[in-house]
Amino acid sequence: MTTESMTASLLPLLREGKPDAAGWLPRRIAMGAVLAVLLLIPVAVPDITTYGLWIQRAQIYVLVGISLNILMGHLGQISLGHQAFFGVGAFAAALAVVNGGWPFWIALFASAASGAIAAVLLGVIALRLKGLFLALITLAYGVIAENVLFANPSLTGGDAGVNAQPPPGFTTSRAYIYLLFVVMALFYFIDWRLLKSKAGRAILAIRENEYAAASFGVNVVGYKLLAFVVSGALAGVAGAFFAHQPPGGPVISRTFDFQMALTFVLMVAVGGLGSRAGIFIGSATFAILPLWLNSLTHWIPVIGGLLLLLTLTLNPGGVAQQIRPVTNWLIGKPFSLKGEGHGVAAGGAGVRP
Amino acid sequence: MSVLECDDVSIQFGGLKALEAVNLSVNEWEIVGLIGPNGAGKTTFFNCVMGVYAPTRGSIRYRGADVTSMPTHKRTGLGLGRTFQNVGLVKNATVLSNMLTAQHRKIRYGAISGMLGSLASFSEEQQLAENGLEILHFMGLLDYRDEVVSRLPYGLQKLTEIAAVLASDPEFLLLDEPTSGMSPDESHEFGDLLLKLRTELNLTVLMIEHHVPLVARVCDHVYCLNFGQLLAEGRPEEIQRHPEVVAAYLGAEDDDGAA
Repeated sequence: MTTESMTASLLPLLREGKPDAAGWLPRRIAMGAVLAVLLLIPVAVPDITTYGLWIQRAQIYVLVGISLNILMGHLGQISLGHQAFFGVGAFAAALAVVNGGWPFWIALFASAASGAIAAVLLGVIALRLKGLFLALITLAYGVIAENVLFANPSLTGGDAGVNAQPPPGFTTSRAYIYLLFVVMALFYFIDWRLLKSKAGRAILAIRENEYAAASFGVNVVGYKLLAFVVSGALAGVAGAFFAHQPPGGPVISRTFDFQMALTFVLMVAVGGLGSRAGIFIGSATFAILPLWLNSLTHWIPVIGGLLLLLTLTLNPGGVAQQIRPVTNWLIGKPFSLKGEGHGVAAGGAGVRP
Repeated sequence: MSVLECDDVSIQFGGLKALEAVNLSVNEWEIVGLIGPNGAGKTTFFNCVMGVYAPTRGSIRYRGADVTSMPTHKRTGLGLGRTFQNVGLVKNATVLSNMLTAQHRKIRYGAISGMLGSLASFSEEQQLAENGLEILHFMGLLDYRDEVVSRLPYGLQKLTEIAAVLASDPEFLLLDEPTSGMSPDESHEFGDLLLKLRTELNLTVLMIEHHVPLVARVCDHVYCLNFGQLLAEGRPEEIQRHPEVVAAYLGAEDDDGAA
């Protein structure tokens, strides 16, 4: 429908209610400060050999968090097998570099492609399932990937693993950390544009009501699979960076176990589904927790479980819900403690496990 | 000319015959009412027309094309637009954001190119926002553009849904109880809107509606369903007097203020 008479007259309305230049300044300064602190951490830490690994782990988990959030937060489907996509990506890159002699940067494409393929295979199954059955199938998928695919000695070297080295130019911990910052920015950019464009809106509409989405012309099957493809590709790339972390070492099948899948789900749920800031905090926390509480390794699942329980019962929006007044202010909304839920995060209960 | 032709549409869920040999047709620019008591199969019929269910028997033709087994999103492409009884919008998103969602089919940039932030996607998004605002203006909803849908009163949600469906460029509207949640005054205004949609946007309408004064005022033709079967059809005033319809529907629901 077009009403020619009023062309271009309504667009300025979009700027209404947004803060003016004076309102932007403190927000920009606050954002800049957060960013500066993040970027300075790798320079400021006292012992880069130890803490460098912590930071990289946190960054890689944030990448996984962004990827998993596309399935759990945007599409609203639980994936208890996400470590499979991550692992496939890790092995694909490691094998391409070590056995195939590919440059790391080209191997990233192999990781993305294999992660996407692994995810689409699960996606096709998931099309027909909902709820508990979907959760069980994704779980089985992850466990099978670990025990059959990754543990196959002729493919992945069995317990010895594939010995992957950091890419040339990024062999020091600090350089790799800054590389990962760039990748994080890229992932966040994709997630941002996804939600601001056709595909993201279609995926959110499917989560809300498949029939309504279809009647707006959304190809429900196609966009569900697209969500799996994008999520799988991003998880695959995250896996490649996981495999090639300095100082280098073997990629072992047992790393990608069910415990890891559970951690991934916990970190996005506790962080807050659908919230970029929440995903960041949740993923980084769950990445560092086991490294930090090294002696309490056996208690980590208990801590994670308790946090999940608290999240689901008291605080379904996760950490994101708690920090929403601040994040809302940062993106230009008025500061309000009333919890102006907006976007997909409000409630977080949109996930149908 | 007949735009929508439903011939012998029947659907069975297990032993339950939800629709039994329903023949219904809608002509160009008509506003056709579909009435009947709860559970009569009205929404099920909509679901058959939109491709949510495949009828066990019968055929559905839209502008001459057989759409009986066409997936829903392709029917939308032919110009069918539909609203839902319980509002088919993304409820935790804003009104304007839903207007963008609804324009999905019109978008020329590819899904991947949008995700990677191509320049084409940025400029086209601007155009979509403008289209959305124009339609909100047309519907008198411009002031609600930044409101989250779930926080609007139900009647406004229903209107927003119609605005969203209009954004998908339909030629034929299927409205499922559009005035539920509206006061008598509001539903009278809604009648004006329907007539305006027809004259200004050339729309043809099939609507499920319980509000008899509205049906009597705007509908050219009315079908009455009961237990999955067509009980009667005709002009609104004929249907209102039809003894079986009165027995099955109006009589049973006169406490609703319907009669």
